[in-house]
Amino acid sequence: MSQSVVSHAEQFKKSFREEAREILAELESALLALNDDRGNAEVVGGIFRGLHTIKGSGAMFGFERIAAFTHDLETAFDTVRSGRTEVTPELIDLSLAALDQIKTLLHEDASDADPADTAAGASILERVRRLAGIEKEPEAAPKTAPVDGGAALHRGPVRNWRIRFAPGPDLMRCGANPSLLLRELRGLGSLSVKASLDAVPSLGELDPERCYVAWEMLLAADTDRDTIRDVFIFVEDACQLSIEPAGDPALAAAETAPLCQADVAARALQEKRVASPGRRSYDKPDNASSLRVPAAKLDQFVDLVGELVTVQARLSELAARRDDSEVVAVSEEVERLTAALRESSMNIRMMPVRGTFEKFRRLVHDLARDLNKNVELTIEGADTELDKTVIEQLGDPLMHLIRNSMDHGIEPADLRLASGKPPAATIHLSARHSGASVLVAVEDDGRGIDSEAVRRRAVERGLIATDARLTEREIYALLFQPGFSTAQQVTDVSGRGVGMDVVRQRVESLRGAVEVASRPGQGTSVTLRLPLTMAIIDGLLVAVGDACFVLPMASTLECIELTREDIARANGKHIANLRGELVPYIRLREHFRMPSSPPEIEQIMLVETSEGRFGFVVDQVLGNCQTVIKSLGRFYRQVQIASGATILGNGAVALILDPDRVVQEAVRTGRQGDLRPLGAHSERPENNNAFQSPSGQRQRRPERRREFANQ
Amino acid sequence: MGVALTEAEGASLISLEGAIDIARAVELRTVLVAALKEGRQLRVCLDEAAELDVTAFQLLWAAGREAAQKSIDFALAGPLPEPVRNALADMGFDESAFPESFLQLAGREEQAES
Repeated sequence: MSQSVVSHAEQFKKSFREEAREILAELESALLALNDDRGNAEVVGGIFRGLHTIKGSGAMFGFERIAAFTHDLETAFDTVRSGRTEVTPELIDLSLAALDQIKTLLHEDASDADPADTAAGASILERVRRLAGIEKEPEAAPKTAPVDGGAALHRGPVRNWRIRFAPGPDLMRCGANPSLLLRELRGLGSLSVKASLDAVPSLGELDPERCYVAWEMLLAADTDRDTIRDVFIFVEDACQLSIEPAGDPALAAAETAPLCQADVAARALQEKRVASPGRRSYDKPDNASSLRVPAAKLDQFVDLVGELVTVQARLSELAARRDDSEVVAVSEEVERLTAALRESSMNIRMMPVRGTFEKFRRLVHDLARDLNKNVELTIEGADTELDKTVIEQLGDPLMHLIRNSMDHGIEPADLRLASGKPPAATIHLSARHSGASVLVAVEDDGRGIDSEAVRRRAVERGLIATDARLTEREIYALLFQPGFSTAQQVTDVSGRGVGMDVVRQRVESLRGAVEVASRPGQGTSVTLRLPLTMAIIDGLLVAVGDACFVLPMASTLECIELTREDIARANGKHIANLRGELVPYIRLREHFRMPSSPPEIEQIMLVETSEGRFGFVVDQVLGNCQTVIKSLGRFYRQVQIASGATILGNGAVALILDPDRVVQEAVRTGRQGDLRPLGAHSERPENNNAFQSPSGQRQRRPERRREFANQ
Repeated sequence: MGVALTEAEGASLISLEGAIDIARAVELRTVLVAALKEGRQLRVCLDEAAELDVTAFQLLWAAGREAAQKSIDFALAGPLPEPVRNALADMGFDESAFPESFLQLAGREEQAES
C-alpha cells in the first residue's frame, strides 16, 4: 500500500477516535440524564443513535472489536426503546462500564488487546444481554448486521429517501470503504442501489487509489434524515452527499426502474449537482462550519503571534524615536492589526468549560454509588470560556475538590435528615466571569469545615503553636499544606491528605488563586480564580528608576499623583487620600530595595487585589502594552511576586507583577510600615469580615469573601 | 497472494488472489496496463480472489473498456466467484453496466460451458 494511503488512513482513524470520544462523552451524559429521568424516550433514542454511529463507523474504519462490542449494547437499548427492557440503575451502571470499555478499545489495536480487558468486556456484555433478554449471536454473524430486522433506528411511517453519494478524491485513502457505508444503509431499511461508472477515466489517467464511482440510492425506511446522515458522519467532508425525501414510493420506484443504467444515474447526479447548492461538498471548504485543527498547530500559531507582538513593540519604539510621520502611521497600523490578530488568536484558544464540567457527572454518579450517598450535581455557567491551556489543567483540581466534597463534606443521608436537611445533597459546579478572571466554584451543602478540627490537627503536626490566634481564612489556608488531612479514615476516595496542596499548586501554576469559604452545618465553597488567558495579556507599563514593570491591565483602576506634600500630610504613613477614601500604598522602589532616588512627583497606580484596593507607587506610568507572557526560568520559580516576564520594544526585560502577591509579601514583611486603611481602624474589632494578617496587622476583608455567607 | 501476470500460448493471464483492494490498486493497474500494451488475448482469474473492492472493480471496468476499444479479447478465465458476484450486486453494479467487459464475456462463457 502506498505511503499516502497509510498516512491518510491513520489520519482518518485518528479523526474517528476523536469523534468517537466526543460521542462517548455525550453518551455518558445522556446515560446519567436517563438515570434521573428513566422514562425519557428522546434520551433513549439519542443513546441508541449514538451507539449505532459508533458501531457503524467503527466497522468502517477497521475498529471491528468496537463494532462487535457496541452491537449488543445497541440491541439492548433497542429493547429499552420498545419497552421490553426497563431502565434500572444496574443497566445504567453496566452501560457506563461498557462505554469505558469502548474507550479502552479505541486505544488498542486488535493485535495488542489486553486479555484482562477482553474478559472484562465479555463480562459486561453478558450482563447486558441478560438484563435485556438478548440471545448471544453466533460469532459468524455479521458485526454490523441491522438490529431488529434492519429497521431499528426509528419507529414511524416508512419514508422514501433519495441518497446521492459521490466519494471525493481522498475518501478511499482515508480508509473509508463505500461498500461498508452501503451495508450500513441497508441496516436502516430497504435499499436499492445504482452505481455510476460514468466518471471513471481511462486506465492511463486513472488514479488507482481514488474512487470514481458514484451512487444513487433509494432507501425505504422508518428513519429521519439525521439518522441517514449519521451513516456518513465520518466521510461527510470527503464526499458529495445529498439526502432528500423521494416523495411517493410508487413514483420514486418508477424513477429508479431502469436498474443500473449508469448513464441515467450519472445524468441524475449531474442534474442534482446543479440543483442543490446547499449540499455539502468536499471541494467547497466554505461550506464547512467548523474545522478540526491539531492543538500543536494552534500553539505554534499563538507563539508566532506572541513573537509578532514583541517585534511590533520594537517597531513602535523605533517609530517613536524617528520624526517621520509616515513611519509612525505605518507603525500604528501594524500595532492596530497586531492587536486584532492577537485578539483573534486568543479567541481561537478559548473553549467552553462544559466538556470538563460534564465529565464530573459520571464521577459524582460513581462516587455516590460507592459511598452510598444521594448526591445531585448541578452545573451553572458551562458555556463560560477559558483558554484551552487553563481548561486542560482544570480537570485534576476539580476532581480533587469534588472527591473531597463527596467523601468529607457531604454527610450520610441519616445525618442530613437528623439535621433538618433534605437527604439528597447537592454539589454545585459553576463558572462565571469576573474581570479578566473566571471564577470556577465547587460548592456543597454538606457539614462544612470544622475549623477547630483543622486547628487541632495543625497543632498536632506542629504547623502552628498551641496558642496561635488564627482567623478562619488562615485556618482554611492550612488545608492546602502538603499532606494535611483531618479525615478520621483514609478511604479510596480521599483522606490521605494528597490533593488540596496539589489543587493549590496547579491553580497557582496557572496564575490563579484558591479561596475557601465555609459555614458549619451549611456547606463549603472552594473558588478557583483563573486567568482568562495564559499567553498574552493587556498590561500597563510602569517605570521605577531604570526598571520597567508590567501590571495586568485587568487589576489596575486609576492613577493619581503623589507629591512630597501628600507624604508629609500622611505623617509618614503609606496612605493616600482618594476622594475621601484612604488607600494604603506600597512603594515599589522600597519594596524591591532599588537604590535610585524618587522624582519630586511620583505616581500611585491603584490596583484591585484579593486583599482589597492598594496603590503601587512608581516613577512613571508609561502606558498600556500587549504583553507576551514568558515564563521565568527555573532559578526564578520561587519569585512569587512575578507571574512571568516580557520583552519590551527596546529589548529590555520587564517583570509582570502579580499585584496580589506583591501586596501579600508587603504585608508579610512589614517593610512598608502600617498598610491598613485609616478608615479601618475604627471598625468593629470582632468584625467577621476582618482578618488578621500573619504579621498581626488587621486588613479590610474583601467583599468577595462574604459571597458564600450571603448565599 | 496478490496480483500476478503470466503468459502462455500467446495469451496473458492475470491471477488475483486474496483481498484485492486499495492496497493492491497500484499494482493491479500496472499489470493491466502492461497486459493491454501487449495486445494479446487477456484473461483474468478470480478463482482465488477472496474479495474485490470498488478500486479493483473500476480498474477492471476501465481495462474492459480499453480492451474493447482496442479489440482485445478480454474475459474472465473462469466463472465469477459467488462472493465477488455478491459484492458487485451489493455495490449496485450490474452486468449491463459492463456491456463490453469481461463480466459479460465470462457470463457467455459460463453459458457456453453449461
